[in-house]
Amino acid sequence: MYILTSRPHTTMRKAFSIFLFIFATILASTDVKASADTALNDALTDSLEEKSFDFSTIKDLIFDHLGDGYGWEVPFNHHKRIPLPVILYSSEGGFHCFSSARIEHGHEYTEDGITFKIAPKGHPHQGKVIEVIDGKEYKPWDISITKNVLAVFISSLLVLWMVLSVASWYRRQPLKAPRKTRGAIEELIMFIYDGVIKPTLGANSMRFAPYLITVFLFILVMNLMGLIVIFPGGANLTGNIAVTLVLAIFTFLITNIFGTKHYWKEIFWPDVPMWLKFPLPIMPIIEFFGVFTKPAALTVRLFANMMGGHMIVIVLTLLIFIAAALGGTLLGGATVVISILFSVFMLLLDVLVSFIQAYVFTMLSTLFIALAQDNGHHGKKHEEDVIMTPLPDTSIPMGNHIDDPAIAAGEIFENK
Amino acid sequence: MELFTPDFGLVFWMFVSFIILFLILWKWGWPVILKGVESRADLIDKGVEYAQQAKEQLDTARQQADKQIAEARQRQAEILREADKMKTQIIEEAREAARKEARKVMDAATISIQQERKEAQSQFRDEVSAFALEIAGKVVRNEMQDQKAQARLVDSLLDQMENQN
Repeated sequence: MYILTSRPHTTMRKAFSIFLFIFATILASTDVKASADTALNDALTDSLEEKSFDFSTIKDLIFDHLGDGYGWEVPFNHHKRIPLPVILYSSEGGFHCFSSARIEHGHEYTEDGITFKIAPKGHPHQGKVIEVIDGKEYKPWDISITKNVLAVFISSLLVLWMVLSVASWYRRQPLKAPRKTRGAIEELIMFIYDGVIKPTLGANSMRFAPYLITVFLFILVMNLMGLIVIFPGGANLTGNIAVTLVLAIFTFLITNIFGTKHYWKEIFWPDVPMWLKFPLPIMPIIEFFGVFTKPAALTVRLFANMMGGHMIVIVLTLLIFIAAALGGTLLGGATVVISILFSVFMLLLDVLVSFIQAYVFTMLSTLFIALAQDNGHHGKKHEEDVIMTPLPDTSIPMGNHIDDPAIAAGEIFENK
Repeated sequence: MELFTPDFGLVFWMFVSFIILFLILWKWGWPVILKGVESRADLIDKGVEYAQQAKEQLDTARQQADKQIAEARQRQAEILREADKMKTQIIEEAREAARKEARKVMDAATISIQQERKEAQSQFRDEVSAFALEIAGKVVRNEMQDQKAQARLVDSLLDQMENQN
């Protein structure tokens, strides 16, 4: 038994450190060049030439970079973008599909008497495609394959490849351990399965593991792809609230659809003194809100963590230009060194954060699902076990664990 | 702000791609991997168990063998000792038998010698008496004048005879 328990950890550490090293190398070589790309560079050179620095441009640039786009930027070229299909369902009815190259740089595109354009700055739908029919502006249903959507597809395909390659190995030789890349992927899978899912869900592991491991790998891949600044990476996916919201909704649905009777009883008639639930249902109201705050916490914590990481790196890069604009060449040059050192450090930290956030999202999802699986036979002790077990198992230093408000909140909800 | 309002298109595609991803992995990915890992773990468990059993069996077998060897040694020593004892006994017995036989033979010989001697003595006595009678007859025949001389002669002859024997 000793062999079984010790092997995954040492191999895991090895695999993970190799993983980190590769990503760090890629990041260190690409971040500096590509961070200061396209639109950012355009606007900054403009403002540098004018010698008057407008901080609102900086703000716009940062959010431009964190946001979505109809095309995908290419490094070292400020005007060309990889064109992506724009798919719209007009408010007049009917689908419209065209290349994003047609509406780039303020161009307008007319199809079937409807003019499409990207809403200019200051518009309520700024940056999105709007349609102009008879001089009136409408917002069509927009299911374009944007940069983020394509990044979701790429990440999905990567996860698909990762898992299916391991699966095909097991289909061919079910009793042999996979080696090299497949081995590393398997270690990732088993790290979550053995370290989080099994100790928390116990007998229910096999039922929920497919969802939980998929989520873990998907978030991890999206996080790491977001750190690679050039195509096919660079989309700030997990730092986009739509992505984290969808994942949190899935966890919410699974938690509540598969919730036991005891779980619902605990919400509407919890085990507290009578005056807390009748005549004024204080606890039931709090518990009921807890049902929705759990996915909300999941959404916001992943989104905020990842967006924060991206934002810091962009700001550090922009600092070079700001310093150059404000203090001339000498100050700019000094800032280059400091900024690069700091952004490399931040990106390395982000690699760690990527892993931790994927881990924490999965762990919290597991926890929420496990709590809804409690059928009351084990009483309070079981609940405590559920909360305590996954934490000591991790071999990764959970530095930002303590000051993470969502975890603290999650625990408060469960412990009351 | 745009960042905090989820975009419909992205939510839609995220839903679609995640569901497709999940369904594919749920059907063709996870069961194979998780079962594979479980069965491998089972196999390793079984292997460990088997090895332990084999080791135990080996240990008991070795112990038994040691015990048997020790027993055999003891038996061997016993047999050797017994054989030794038997050997001396047999030799002793043989010697005793030989001694008895020898004594018997000796006894028989002694007896027969004595008998023979007795026979010889009696024979000799007979012969001597016959001879003496002959001599006496001769003496009687030849020198019947001197009776005294005759008697002396007879006596002296007889004495001689007796002394000779």
